[in-house]
Amino acid sequence: MKICRLSLFNLKRNKREAAAIVFLTLVSSFLMATFAVSITQINSAFDRALEEAGCADFVLLFQADKYRDIYRDILEEECNVTDVRESSVLCGAGASALSKKGESIAYNMIFADENTERKMENFQKLNALPDDEIEKLSHPVWLPQYFEITAGYAPGETFTLVSGGRDYPFTIAGFYNTGLYNSSSMLKCIISDDDMVLLSAVYEEYRMIAFDTEREFSYEEYYEKCSAKTNENVLSAVIPLDKDMERMVETSYLAIFLYMSVFLSIVTMISALFLILHKISKDMEEQMVQIGVLEALGYTSRELSLSYICEYILTGGIGAVTGGITAAAFSPVMDTLTRDMMNRDVHTDVNILRILIVVISIIALVTCFALSRAARVKKIPPVVAFRKGIKTHHFGKNILPLEKMRHSINVRLAFKGIFNDFRSNIGTGICMIAAGVAIMFSVYLFDFFKSGYNGLIGVLGMETPDISIIMMSGVNGENFCDEIREFPEVEKVLLTRAMGNYVEIKGCNQSATVFSYADFSLTDNIRLKEGRFPEYDNEIMISVRREETENRHIGDSIIIKGDVGEKSYIITGIVTAMNNNGMSVYMTEDGYRRIRPNDRPNIVEITLKNEEDRPAFTDKLTALYGASAKDTAYEQTSQTEQSAQSVQTVQGSLGERIRAEADEKMAVLISQYGVTDIDYAIRIGDTVISGNSSRFVIKEISSMKDFLKSQMESIAAVTKTFSFCAVIFIAVVVAVILGIIAVSAVKRQRRELGIMKSMGYTSRELMIQLTLRILPVTIISSCIAAVLSVWVQRAFWMAAFGVQIPESPPLIIGTAAALVLFCLTVTYISAGSIRKISVTELMTE
Amino acid sequence: MISVLRTEKLCKSFSNGATQQHVIKNLDLEIMEGDFTVIMGASGSGKSTLLYALSGMDKPTLGKVFFGDTEISDYTNDQLAVFRRKNCGFVFQSIYLLENQSVLDNVLTGAFTVQKNSTELIRRVKELLAKVGIDEEMQKKYPNQLSGGEAQRVGIVRAVINEPKILFADEPTGSLNSASGRDVLDIFTGVHENGQSIVIVTHDIKTALRGTRVIYLRDGKVVGEHRMAKYGGATKERREKLTAFLDEMGW
Repeated sequence: MKICRLSLFNLKRNKREAAAIVFLTLVSSFLMATFAVSITQINSAFDRALEEAGCADFVLLFQADKYRDIYRDILEEECNVTDVRESSVLCGAGASALSKKGESIAYNMIFADENTERKMENFQKLNALPDDEIEKLSHPVWLPQYFEITAGYAPGETFTLVSGGRDYPFTIAGFYNTGLYNSSSMLKCIISDDDMVLLSAVYEEYRMIAFDTEREFSYEEYYEKCSAKTNENVLSAVIPLDKDMERMVETSYLAIFLYMSVFLSIVTMISALFLILHKISKDMEEQMVQIGVLEALGYTSRELSLSYICEYILTGGIGAVTGGITAAAFSPVMDTLTRDMMNRDVHTDVNILRILIVVISIIALVTCFALSRAARVKKIPPVVAFRKGIKTHHFGKNILPLEKMRHSINVRLAFKGIFNDFRSNIGTGICMIAAGVAIMFSVYLFDFFKSGYNGLIGVLGMETPDISIIMMSGVNGENFCDEIREFPEVEKVLLTRAMGNYVEIKGCNQSATVFSYADFSLTDNIRLKEGRFPEYDNEIMISVRREETENRHIGDSIIIKGDVGEKSYIITGIVTAMNNNGMSVYMTEDGYRRIRPNDRPNIVEITLKNEEDRPAFTDKLTALYGASAKDTAYEQTSQTEQSAQSVQTVQGSLGERIRAEADEKMAVLISQYGVTDIDYAIRIGDTVISGNSSRFVIKEISSMKDFLKSQMESIAAVTKTFSFCAVIFIAVVVAVILGIIAVSAVKRQRRELGIMKSMGYTSRELMIQLTLRILPVTIISSCIAAVLSVWVQRAFWMAAFGVQIPESPPLIIGTAAALVLFCLTVTYISAGSIRKISVTELMTE
Repeated sequence: MISVLRTEKLCKSFSNGATQQHVIKNLDLEIMEGDFTVIMGASGSGKSTLLYALSGMDKPTLGKVFFGDTEISDYTNDQLAVFRRKNCGFVFQSIYLLENQSVLDNVLTGAFTVQKNSTELIRRVKELLAKVGIDEEMQKKYPNQLSGGEAQRVGIVRAVINEPKILFADEPTGSLNSASGRDVLDIFTGVHENGQSIVIVTHDIKTALRGTRVIYLRDGKVVGEHRMAKYGGATKERREKLTAFLDEMGW
């Protein structure tokens, strides 16, 4: 009882410090408990959603024209898979849709009809219009939850696809729970059979093979088997997806935030523990005589130690328990956050046991630290205590004697003060390093995302042109590029090939996407981390992640399996590349031809001087080179549909009409069936009307920027907000710690400060002295924090995205300087309590 | 004689909850240059309060304090601090040396508020310390290693090192034994002989004997004043006259 009374007495005396410890332990407990509850819950929520959706574990999407029946046979016969389901879907890579604001956004989309969906999954409908209303809709679409949660669509609203400058409006019948294909990497929409026919002219047909497996499935082995049996390049025709990939896309970002919360929690806990140690030391120093008196009165040192420990069990306990309760109460908010990040309705159960473990651990930690410091009471017998402890007897060396002083007396006295409080300064330093790393890392993140997703584009490791043109085969790419370069709106034109050219690297577990350019120095986003761009046909660059994971370095050789055997390449450079999970390789155009001699570059990447000229320039291209085969094919399909309802007005001579009809048929063959060259001849009486597909130059026009925007904009916005909040939060923690250190220093040194005031030192000078005392520790800590934060940043980017973003020395130095300045300002302001010291009161005590 | 310090209707009161305690009441006083002024009075008469109000350690509640022709009673705290460092020296009953600084540094901490570091200053500080019996070896020690008398002598050196216009002392021998007290008073007398103005608060007759002017306070007002010649020793006559004055004041 008397111990509790002593604790309460101490608490009452130092309300501000007690409040700070409660605040810090509360925040630490809240963040840690939230992590402990959520980190497993997000995985189980994902598993539950997939189970309800009834989706397969693996899905392979084959381009319809490159799909062979044997691929399924291999799966069933040689790969021991179960429950194989097969159907046809349409796939629009980078398909444009209008956002609710009317902006064009690109998505990777799959379209399936209801029967197909029921065959592949349960087609679990969620938020939908009434059945009678759905029946009246001419173009209903069921969207995955992604569109409801991320894009903000509602049932009954219009969802408009855009292709070739034409709109395809659908009415949203509702949303459904899809297992896979519910993330920005790929989205599956369910449409009517008629609309499937309509869109088949716009998007490519794919064969979807879904299956489960009871043991580990190796894509590499499967592709090898397929290639061996068909002698075809399977990798370039297939888009794989499985639960783990989907899980990574949906949950990894949330997990990153949770791990960052743990980091913040640890920083806060370190600060709280430091504050506890600091406070016990200072309390004991301040209450030295009182300790002696109590010991003289018969209190044992154990009782006195316990009184200090009780104080912190009380404050730490209140903080930890409140933090735990707050974490439990925060669960619905966490559900909403998880829903927004995973694009699924989730309900996480509050795991009380985990929260209890966190709370108890924090209380135990606080108790241990308090015990370690409070045990020092044993070393203070009454006689020593009456003399205010050994510490006040300075029989050691006089550090920085004033007679040798060269600079200002305030600076000299401040520096003398540092040595008087050396141990406390080390504690402050550790605290500052932890907080500094957190602040700097958050500042780097904020800086990276301050201009939205542009920062991410810079580390993608791929070009993001304003317009990408897929050319018809047979079109001379170089000549076409030269023509485009003549346009005044054009800034840059590059010739490359479609992304998705996967190759196998001998001895590597993961296949690689190949990027090939004639001259890499003309690219903007393919940035070297080290080395140089490939210049010869036997040179190659690899990504940072491949360098790290496969231990390949500049100067090493790698062997790539090509269409005409294996070819060796020397690594000349390492590229910062986030695309394709950071596993790309880069080679020259000639280098690429060594593995695939017949594969010609078919993509023209156009960068405009002014991005806003894009629609006008697209129209200009269409006017000059004719509509793309895709657009023409759509025209043909939609006219066929309309002809049943209306009478078509046909203009022109018979020959013109036949040629127009032939063009449309060719367009369908080209865009839907992958036909490359067509010649036709039609005889009508004595007249022969002939032609060929050379009239088509452009197969498709698209924009990579729109697609990236849909994928990265929300990530950038969330990270920016999170990092900003983190900076503010840590700054508050630092301010609390430094404020309390300064205030307790003033309180402890009230006598000395009063004496100095009587000698003519102004409050301002004394405040400066107190501030300067933390200058060295702040500078050293900030420098260490700057170095560590760079290391943390590198580790974060590598773990999260497989890239290394270039560090900005001015930002690092600027942040470190700002941190030092902030600490000095906080200390100076907090030291303002010096003003309250009355010399008269002190002298008359 | 020239006036160094002057008060006009000086009032100082302290609040204790709802009650106001008037310690100094409408006090008019003048301190002359070169005087060794001793303020005496019973406990609670306002001696120390007056000393702190005069020295700019504390602000008066009402009235004015002039240092020469300059009014200091409306100074801010920081202005008062600068005023103190340039014009005043203090010796306290509790000595108040900085415990974490050596003897030499204690004096230099005061000296450097006004003077720049120079060989001459260091030499003078060491000389002054030696003069009051603090040798080189002792100068390196910390306050806890000194006796009360030694510490007070250091306190006096610290107070006079900046050659203040006026030296204030609040019962400087109060915590010392008689031998140490005598040594300290001898130093005060020596300093005064060099022309230093001194204001000292005491209730010790031996200390009062050193002064040239004794002011007696009662209930915050000056009720009597006794003038004496410069101290040339505690003669019987000097002692009797002072005792008679104090008896008259009811001391």
